[in-house]
This record gives sequence, structure tokens and C-alpha cells, in this order.
Amino acid sequence: MAGPLDGIRVADFTWVWAGPTNTMQLAHMGAEVIRMETSKRICTLRMFPPWPDGKPGPNRSGYFNQYNQGKRAILLDLTKDEGAAIARRIVEISDVAVENFSAGVIDRLGFGYDELRKVNDDIIMMSMSGYGATGPDKDYISYGPAQVPMSGLSALTGYKGWRPMHVGMSYGDPTAGLHAAFAVIAALFYRDRTGKGQYIDMSQWESSMVVIGEAFMHQVMNGAAPERDGSHDPHMAPHNVYRCAGEDRWIAIGCGSDEEFGALCGVIGKAELASDARFATIAERKANEDALDAEIEAWTSEQDPFEAMETLQAAGVAAYPPLVNQEVMESPHLAARDFWVEHEHPEVGVRKHAGIPWHFSETPLSVKRAAPVMGQDNEYVFGELLGMGSDEIAGLVEREVIK
Amino acid sequence: MMRLVMPDRALEGLTIIEVGTRGAASYGAKMLADLGADVIKVEPPTGDPDRALGPFPGGEAHPEKSGTFLYLNTNKLGVTLDIAGDKGREVLGKLVAKADALIHDYPPAEAEAAGLTYDAIRAANPDIVMTSVTPFGQTGPQKDFKANDLTMQGAGGWLWINGWPGNPDLPPLKAFGRQPSYQGGLNGALATMGALYGRSRGGPGQHIDISIQECIAAIIEFVLPTWSYMETPVVRYGQRPIHPIDMFQCKDGAWIFVLCIEEPQWERLVELMDTPEWATWEVAADRFVRASNWDALRPFMEEWVSQWNADDLYRAAQAKRIPFAPVSTLGNLLDSDHLKARGFFVEVAHPEAGTLTHAGAPYKLSETPWEIRLPAPTLGQHNAEVFGGRLGLSDAEIESLAVEGVA
Repeated sequence: MAGPLDGIRVADFTWVWAGPTNTMQLAHMGAEVIRMETSKRICTLRMFPPWPDGKPGPNRSGYFNQYNQGKRAILLDLTKDEGAAIARRIVEISDVAVENFSAGVIDRLGFGYDELRKVNDDIIMMSMSGYGATGPDKDYISYGPAQVPMSGLSALTGYKGWRPMHVGMSYGDPTAGLHAAFAVIAALFYRDRTGKGQYIDMSQWESSMVVIGEAFMHQVMNGAAPERDGSHDPHMAPHNVYRCAGEDRWIAIGCGSDEEFGALCGVIGKAELASDARFATIAERKANEDALDAEIEAWTSEQDPFEAMETLQAAGVAAYPPLVNQEVMESPHLAARDFWVEHEHPEVGVRKHAGIPWHFSETPLSVKRAAPVMGQDNEYVFGELLGMGSDEIAGLVEREVIK
Repeated sequence: MMRLVMPDRALEGLTIIEVGTRGAASYGAKMLADLGADVIKVEPPTGDPDRALGPFPGGEAHPEKSGTFLYLNTNKLGVTLDIAGDKGREVLGKLVAKADALIHDYPPAEAEAAGLTYDAIRAANPDIVMTSVTPFGQTGPQKDFKANDLTMQGAGGWLWINGWPGNPDLPPLKAFGRQPSYQGGLNGALATMGALYGRSRGGPGQHIDISIQECIAAIIEFVLPTWSYMETPVVRYGQRPIHPIDMFQCKDGAWIFVLCIEEPQWERLVELMDTPEWATWEVAADRFVRASNWDALRPFMEEWVSQWNADDLYRAAQAKRIPFAPVSTLGNLLDSDHLKARGFFVEVAHPEAGTLTHAGAPYKLSETPWEIRLPAPTLGQHNAEVFGGRLGLSDAEIESLAVEGVA
């Protein structure tokens, strides 16, 4: 068995980041994912950097290539009747259809759930719009970076006493994409037992709020949200990001117990701090956190971050430097775990991509191929899957249906 | 274990054992439970440490009133079991024998000590799917490193990219809460679901090793390809490939997220701004050029935004299909008409904590809705039901588990 979704086909109408993150998980599990694209309106992600040598091109984006690994791609103009008819044939031979346009757009294109069900009555259709398919603001448009402030995560994140902050990435996209993939497989599991497909309405906004559930409890219980407090933690002290030797070098350290704090004090050569009344318990350390942070930083600021990490870890203290991208990609630990994927790609050559974070013992998963260049699988899908002859395909190209 | 009658819930008939102590397994098992799986949460007799985390009503600690625990453990049955000892392990083995999957988040050394190894679990049930969600995974030189949600943001490459751009005196900044644990749990649920689906189609039971570090590295946008495609280090959030993507304070003190992804959105924003001269300059010509010159352009945008109230600006922008967004407070969200109309927040009644509003469904399935059937269990609430009703232990045996401190 190649993967748990071996033999499952996905008609992929998605674009940008959230939808493609969903369908990449399905591809990771062995599904055949067919991206339907058009050069008349190229996927936004294909136009974003990074590009090798800084030279743009729809097949050269590392951003696109990271999140579309293992998929197939065809060109098809869905706004033409012939193109729409072909897309319906693809849906007919698929198990799942996924889209992440704003609510209503897919219906206007003629691929709403009711239409898809006419050609495939047990199809599982996943819509993952920004605001969801219902509600007074359903027609508003949204993208992953907006989900961070919309969800409340920005209001909760920030340096003490400062403005709300972003979290550094468009976190709403992958969080939606992973939740969506889970729901799709749950629906497949149900379909196989009952013969029933279904429609899944997913709101990226809502799927971004479920990962701060405890903050809502705080608001509901006490009428106020947790205050922004930098990298501190309400239950651990010390718990912060400390300056190291060198330019813009840091280390994250957190102690969850008195024992770990004692070990930290030993490492930094200040064993006396562990018995200092100001720092004797978590409560005391929280009350005197600035003074404590200063004591720790006096030590870290003389240290190389990686040496400090090794020393602290050897003493049983949670410590890790914030890794910059190169350091993640050159991590000896991740290399030892065989995390990276390097496939030949016709336009960018062999590049390193993040792989699959789930290691299956009996049916190991693997990324089958690099992200597709535009129209790469026209022949396979139109010819092999749909049984069109080469003349027919040539005619579709001629009439700009395959475009 | 499959029922032959038509199930009402997507995952009805699946039995999942959760042994969670760090949020990750709790969240993954919650996802399965909220779609109808039968989840039995195994806690140490002292309780899941999340029971001590709070938040608590009025700030008063109480093991049945921790908001974190209440949220992460809906729809589960709860039993207590000391799996460090032989007797507890024997009972766990009986639970495992009747289960489809086990999900846990003990780091490797602790898992070994607690008998949560694949060999031991498989011995009790060869078909089981066992999912281990740990900071660094089961293998590799750093597998035994100590970790928490802050250090995991560092190890995954996320911490580096968050903070105040261009200010070398400010450290990288943690995103709120327990995001690495949530991501670990989310991936745990997804991988477990995948393996269970594969098993239902003839695939084997297996062990799934999930590394939270890898879960984070797999989602940090264009950060890693920026190295493998351009050998360029990334800096903190301010450096975006396109602009405007920024947050500003409005006249009423609330904040707004200013965003244009596509060029036509920018053109409509220029119209909304009444075509100020600066927006026509060459340094504002397209999204990439605006990104290169954002430091210079930013004050103009800030000045314009500051003349608006946040909600008015948000609505005015969306009316022109420009994807601005509010910087929501949690209070705003609980009051949102849109979220109310969709029924996102749900009321959950708990015997000790009372009725509380929870964040609800991340997805709405038309045939098999996400639903809350049970509040989080009180400590050991279902010991008799599970040990007696399901495992067939006698009342005397259950009593002795309690007396011996096993349950």
C-alpha cells in the first residue's frame, strides 16, 4: 500500500496558500491531486518569490513549490463551456473536490456543491473561504495573513505594553489547510461506510480561532483577555528569549519547575539564585521576573547560542536558539530524521523542501514528485484519465480551452 | 468495532485512547472526539497537568475549572490510571486491546518509562494505530532535548521571524499560547485519521512518529525556500515580498489590518484613498516595488488610516473588495454578528465549572456535524463506566484499583 489515500482522486480548484496546504496533505497520504489552473489567471503563489537568481516565473517560485509538492497540474479555462464540461468530467472521476475562493465564487463558476453532486453523487466537497459560506459578512474577502489579526491572535501577541503584533507568518493558511485535510479524510471514512458524500463549509477565520481556545476561556471566565507579555508565560519563569554573543543572536529558555531552575542557576554559575528569596518559587520568580531575566541575560550575552543550548540541555533545561532559515535547513537533527525532500524540477533544478512531519512505521509516506510546472500533466489527465485522443486535445488547445 | 447501522457521526464506532499531558495529544484527540469518535482520556490519578493551568474563574485554582482543560477535553470519557506501575499498565493494555488508536505526547524517555512504547502497545493490540507527538520525534541526536512551546517555536524556525522588524534591540517574539502543541495535535489527528482510513481499506496498524519541530518547519510560509532558492536569510515580519501588509491604529484607538494581495485590490484602495499623489509615485507602482519602498510609503498610509474609525474603514474597504481585516479583541469576536449567525461559539455546561462559552467548530460538515455531546470529564468520572462496563472489571476490582492508588 503506497499510502492510506492511495486510489483517492482530488479535483483541486484551490489557489494561494490555504487550499493548496490542504491538498498537499492529501497528496502526502497518497491521493492523486489534480490542480486545475489557467494561464489567464495564474495562481498568486506562483508569482511570489523566492525565485532562483531572483528571476521571476510561474514555475520558479519556492513558495509555490513548497506547498504543491506531489501534485499534478493541468491547464483549463473554466469560464469556457468546454472547459467547464471537462472540469465536471474530472469531478466525476474524483472522490473529493476542494476550493478556497470567497463564498459564492465557486457557485458563479458553476461548480457549487449542487452542481458537482449532479455529476458525482457521493462527492465530498470542501469549501474553505475566509469567512465561511454563510453569515452576514460571507461575501467579504480574506487571505491568510488577515486571519492572524481577525482571529484575536494579534491582540494576544506582543511585547509587554506594546501594540498588537502579527505572528510572523500567514498562520491562518496552514492552520486552515491542516484542519481541512483532517475533515476531508473523516468524510471519506464516513462515505466508505455509508455511501454518502457531503459538503464541508470551512471558515479560515473560525479555524484560526480554535487554536486559542484557552484565551477565549480567559475572556469568558473573567471578562478580559490575557495581556500581551512578550515571550513570558503565566506558569513558567524564567521563560524568555535572551540575547547571546554576536549580532542578533538569541536563545529561548523556559523552566517549568524549581528543579529545572536550580539546574539553570548551576549552569550560569549563580547557584545562589536558586535559594534567593526573590526566586524561590514560580510565584516569586514571576513577581521578580525582570530582575531574574537580567541575571540570566548577563550570562547568555557572553555565550554562543548553540553552545549555551548544549550546556543547558545537558543539565535538563529547555533551551533552543531561534533558528534562522539556513539553520533549520542545516539542522543535523532534521537531516538525521530524513525530513527534507529533494526532487529534480525542470526549471529550478534540485532544491530542498520541507517534507512530511508524520513518519509511518509500516507504510512509510513519501513525496512522489516535485511541485508541477504549469500544464505538466495535460497529457496524463486529458489523454490517459479522460481518454481524449491527441487531435481532440490539440483542438482544445487551439480553441484556448486548454490554456 | 464498526457498527452495522447507519452512523450519525463521521467517526462513530472508532475508539481512541488518549494519554495526554502537554496539550498536543489533548487537542488531537478532541478533534477526533468532536467528529464522533469515542475517546477515552487516561489521566494520572493526580490529573492532567492542564487541570492546573487555568485560566480559572476569578483566578481561583480548581482542578475542575481550568479553562485550558475544559476546552481541550470536550466529548471525552475520562479515567484515571497510574501507568507507571504494572497494575495500571495491565489495565491500559486492556483498553488498548479494544481500541482503534492511541495518541500520546510523552517524550521518548518518559514514554519508555511509562510503557508507552510501540512494542508494548502492539503486543496488546497488533492492529492499533499508535501516534506519538513529541517535540523532536523518536529519532535523531536531539530527540531527548527538553522543550516547551517557546523553545519549539525557536527550533522550528518560527520564533526568528516574529518580532518588531528592523530593531536589533528587541528579541524575537513568541506567538501567543501553545501554538506548537496545537500544531502537533492537529498533525496528530490528521495522521491518525489517515492511518485509520488506510486501515479501514486493508492497510496495517502502525506507529506514527510526529515531530513538532517538523510540524512547524513545514508551515513557515516562504521562509525555508528563501534559503534553498536564494540563499538569503529572512528577517522579522516587516520584510514581506509584497505590500501593503501592515497594521495601523485608527482614530478610535482600535487597530486595522491593511492588506492588498492582488494589484486590482490596490487600485481600488487608491480610489478609496481619493488617489493621493504618493500612491501614483513610481515607488508605489506595483506590489513588489511598494514592498522595497515600504519604509518610505508607510507614513503616508498611516496618516490616511488615522483619519478613520477602524470598523468604518474595514467595511468601506470590504465594500470595494479590498481584503482589510479588523484587529479583533476577544470581546469583539464573542460579540460578532457574523460569528453569531454561524453559531461559531457554543455553550458547554459542566457539572462543576458551570456553563461556559467555547470556541466551536473549525468546519461544518453537512451530513455529520461537529458537535459537543459531553463536557470535559471530571477527574476519574468514567472509571466505573469504562473499567466496569467496557473492560468487565468487577466492582471489587475497580475498588481495589482506587484503594491501591492505581486509578
